[in-house]
Amino acid sequence: MAENYHEEEALGKAYDSRLMKRLLKYARPYRWSLISAIILLISGSALQLLLPVMVQIGIDNYIADKDLSGLFHITLVYAGILFTAFLLSYGQMYITMYIGQKVQYDIRMEIFRHLQKLHLQFFDKNPVGRLVTRVTNDVSVLDEMFSSGLVSVFGDLITLVGIVIAMLYYDWQLALLTFAVLPLLIVATMIFRRKVRGVYREVRTRLARLNAFTQEHVTGISVIQMFNREKATFGRYNEINTDLRSAHLRGIYYYAIFFPVVEIISAFSLALLLYYGSGDILAATLTFGELVAFIQLVERFYHPIRDLAEKYNILQSSMAASERIFNLLDTEPKVVKHAEPVEFPETRGKIEFDKVCFSYNTDEWVLKDVSFTVEPGEKVAIVGATGAGKTSMLSLLFRFYDYQKGSIRIDGTDIQRIPVEQMRRHMGLVLQDVFIFSGDYAGNVRLGREDIPDEKVIEALEKVNLYRFIRESEGGIRAEVKERGATLSTGQKQLLSFARALAFNPDILILDEATSSVDTATEKMIQDALEVLLKGRTAIIIAHRLSTIEKADKILVMHHGELREIGKHQELLDRKGIYYRLHQMQFKQEMMKAAV
Amino acid sequence: MPVSNVKESRFSRIRVYLRRYRKYLIWGGLATVLSNSLMLINPFILKLSFDEIENGAGSSDILKYVLAIIILAILAGLFRFMMRRTIIWMSRKVEFDLRSDLFNHLLKLGQNFYNNTKTGDIMARSTNDVEAVRMMVGPGIMHIANASLSAIIAIAFMVYMSPKLTLYSLLPLPILSFAVNKLGMMVHTRFSKIQEYFAVLTSRVQENLAGIRVVRAYNQEEPSIDDFAGHNLKYIELNKSMIKVQAMFFPILFMLAGSINLVVLYFGGSEVIEGNISLGTLVAFFAYLAMLIWPMIAMGWVVSLYQRGTASLERINNVFNTEPSVYSEPNAVKDRQFHDSIEYRNLTFSYNGRANLRNINLKINAGQTVGVVGPTASGKTTLVSLIGRLHPVPRNSLFIDGIDINDWDLKTLRSQIGFVAQEPFLFSDSLNRNILFGADHSDEAVVKAAAQTAVIDEEILEFPNQYETMLGERGITLSGGQKQRVAIARAIVTDPPILILDDATSAVDTQTEHQINQRLKGELKRRTAIIISHRVSAVKDADLIVYMEDGAIAETGAHEELMEKDGRYAALYRAQLLAEELDRM
Repeated sequence: MAENYHEEEALGKAYDSRLMKRLLKYARPYRWSLISAIILLISGSALQLLLPVMVQIGIDNYIADKDLSGLFHITLVYAGILFTAFLLSYGQMYITMYIGQKVQYDIRMEIFRHLQKLHLQFFDKNPVGRLVTRVTNDVSVLDEMFSSGLVSVFGDLITLVGIVIAMLYYDWQLALLTFAVLPLLIVATMIFRRKVRGVYREVRTRLARLNAFTQEHVTGISVIQMFNREKATFGRYNEINTDLRSAHLRGIYYYAIFFPVVEIISAFSLALLLYYGSGDILAATLTFGELVAFIQLVERFYHPIRDLAEKYNILQSSMAASERIFNLLDTEPKVVKHAEPVEFPETRGKIEFDKVCFSYNTDEWVLKDVSFTVEPGEKVAIVGATGAGKTSMLSLLFRFYDYQKGSIRIDGTDIQRIPVEQMRRHMGLVLQDVFIFSGDYAGNVRLGREDIPDEKVIEALEKVNLYRFIRESEGGIRAEVKERGATLSTGQKQLLSFARALAFNPDILILDEATSSVDTATEKMIQDALEVLLKGRTAIIIAHRLSTIEKADKILVMHHGELREIGKHQELLDRKGIYYRLHQMQFKQEMMKAAV
Repeated sequence: MPVSNVKESRFSRIRVYLRRYRKYLIWGGLATVLSNSLMLINPFILKLSFDEIENGAGSSDILKYVLAIIILAILAGLFRFMMRRTIIWMSRKVEFDLRSDLFNHLLKLGQNFYNNTKTGDIMARSTNDVEAVRMMVGPGIMHIANASLSAIIAIAFMVYMSPKLTLYSLLPLPILSFAVNKLGMMVHTRFSKIQEYFAVLTSRVQENLAGIRVVRAYNQEEPSIDDFAGHNLKYIELNKSMIKVQAMFFPILFMLAGSINLVVLYFGGSEVIEGNISLGTLVAFFAYLAMLIWPMIAMGWVVSLYQRGTASLERINNVFNTEPSVYSEPNAVKDRQFHDSIEYRNLTFSYNGRANLRNINLKINAGQTVGVVGPTASGKTTLVSLIGRLHPVPRNSLFIDGIDINDWDLKTLRSQIGFVAQEPFLFSDSLNRNILFGADHSDEAVVKAAAQTAVIDEEILEFPNQYETMLGERGITLSGGQKQRVAIARAIVTDPPILILDDATSAVDTQTEHQINQRLKGELKRRTAIIISHRVSAVKDADLIVYMEDGAIAETGAHEELMEKDGRYAALYRAQLLAEELDRM
């Protein structure tokens, strides 16, 4: 969130042809719709411009000649044109907005798909909130450009051209006279644009500063209160707020000058028209109706110009949004496929770590020369203090990250040569912090795999002792599960994640045992479920429970990123080394508590 | 509370601001009246000149009209400038005041508000909602005044010229207004559905990214994409149903506007043919109606500004109506220096419906050093944070110098305390200003002394800008241990009689921690200190050690006493000796 407010400060230029070219590529699939929209737009604008012509004909040919039925006919024609123009412009608007929606859909999909490919380090560095903004809000900004920006800018230009042609057609001298005020208008608009852009930028940076300040101090409110700093903080807030206000006030100034200036210029051109037009009428080179049509055309003239100024803002924010989106899309996924991938249809479940070294950033090794072998069907427990490197081992095995040195092999094949999806298909992961998706129980068990039937889901839930509970809730396995499993207890969440792993039926199971304490009854349920889960699989468990460790075929003792001891529970205890001390530290209290 | 009352109070805050700036409002109103009146004379002049042209007048005859048009436009422009300059100007001042008052109120609110309100919501109040209120009082007022005035004046002119044609030509206007409103409402209802679904879309993405490890581990990338595609499509479908209506908006507007011209052309034309009105009047009618269309559209816009503004105002008022949960009583004890004791008398403290502390009885005498240990979530932090009254404390349960903590003036109370939290919050400011955060002076020697005690001085001097080094937001440019040490310096720089360290050296390495403890020793002797630590070694030498468990005090006593007792504290101590031993292996 905080990052968002800072990002706002970077406000790029309003138009960037490189970005624009890339953006327009998204409209390519819809080019035929786009072309038809443009055709509709041109014909609609042309019809709109015919309306003043009808007024002219009405005045000159019928009103002047006192021909009431003629006037009625021209009114009907007027109505016809009006209605046709309505249909055309409705069609055009609908098509452009429709294209905007389609493009929006496409870009969203592309970003989302890209995010599914990106390496996990990327997610460590980029807060989820920021990435969500890319997929959601930033794309919405682009939609605005596609649906109301691009085509209507085009439309405004066409209307302008049409008006110019119509005026020249009526009386080129008078037309040129009208255009005489144009330079004035253009200069005024340019000055206004430049000033307002400066102010706009200032407002944005100051607003961003104010927001960042607010966000920071709201987050640190207890420090402010503890240190009696309310008054001082308020003073600084007001300084920034005053800065913002003065930028705003300056902006008002420009707007307050610009709009009246445009009105004065338009009155000036009306006055010119009237003055020279009256002479022309007297000289009979101009009819009455033509002068009226002229006046109406001039009125329409100012509309597109004001409109164009407004489109500028849309353009500016969409450039900024597209820049952010493209930056994300240009980030290459880091876990790359090996040059000669090996097909990996089946596994026996043998895992080897061979002198594996790994670090998140180069200066500090998290794992140093770790080597061990897990035979098919073996249950291995990893123990060690916090920061010993246990979780990193799991992450490597799942290829969330790639190690720098050594090799990890499954059934003798280096995992970097196995296509990631194929490898993960054989493995199940149960994390310490269970992640529950919103949806229903069934959805959380089978995730996206529709080929797991309801019976299998229920079977899995039954095996982990959770079905008894779910059956009672309304809807059974279809009962709603809230975001992050808010309505479930810690124990239930764990059991649900066990069921998930069971349903996927992996050959290799990786489990990070939860440390959180649960009541004895739930603990018993978890123990039972764990036993079912481990049966017949190769398993690596980061163990926190004594019972799990005692049952393991092998215990790996990690210490400061190194594998220091391997063996069975009693052997290791007898050795009186690291494991012995860990055991005393972690479980003596546990046993003591149990005794109390 | 009756509904009308709610409405009344809803606007009472705004009324205060408007009254404050009524000068602007009055001048703005005047400018609006004048600019509109002047501007609306122009079509009438157009009529007069056309009438003369019809009667064969040349350029020289209508020069006076031409000049009048220009002069009127300039005058109207001047007043138009004034109108924006006053009303919009005022709205920015109101925005400033409102935002400032809001922040000031936020500074007073207590932890229960902040724990139950998302930061994002608070941000939305002080940004979007304040802006919406401004739009209501600024452009809202301006456009409504403008629209109604120009309508009245234009219609007056039109009636004067031809009542009959006025009646005919105004016929389409209500239809226009109605259509704009109706379409606006349709767009609005569909739009809120879209917004709702947008939230669904957002939370889908959020969830997927937050659970990305599970997604990857179970090969769920493709199904996730399919799932997202479904939601994305649904969102687009909802949008399509809206654009069907939305795309009609401007075309219908143009058609109705055109139909006004149509009516004038036919009926006006007939009137001209019958000789009831002049051609000039017809032209003036065209001009007046062209000037009326925009205000009619603006009316619809103002309605939505009003709706949005009131909704935002309500949300802002909700914050204002939240009373601070912790505040000084009117006769609170001020200007007092702590010198005797801190005493918990059978204190039970519940928070969010959960009892966090139960039956606490503890007396800490001035000058004592007290260590607090125990498992996570056993209530250690809550125990000490009550001394700073960050939460409302029940009466008759906590006494400072024998005075109920609720009877202390907040400012006085808090100035007695130096507090270092486990995850200290630093501000994006210079190191110097961060250390001096709680101080009213800026004595460099004092800052340096405090930094030396906290064993951070040397490291600071290694930075290129030394004490002027700017920290990133939340102090992210420093390591966890450095942050904690800066926070210690910040706490002792004001020389408070009570010092509370809440696991303040948890991220500091053992050696530095030892150094800090050595240097703090002198400081602690002069003060009353409460030290929470997960390392027993840090509290071993304290005068009194408190072992907390499940919100209650399980054991108290000096180190030797507790070791002799061989209870929980002794077990913890032995475990930690082992851990230290392990660390050296």
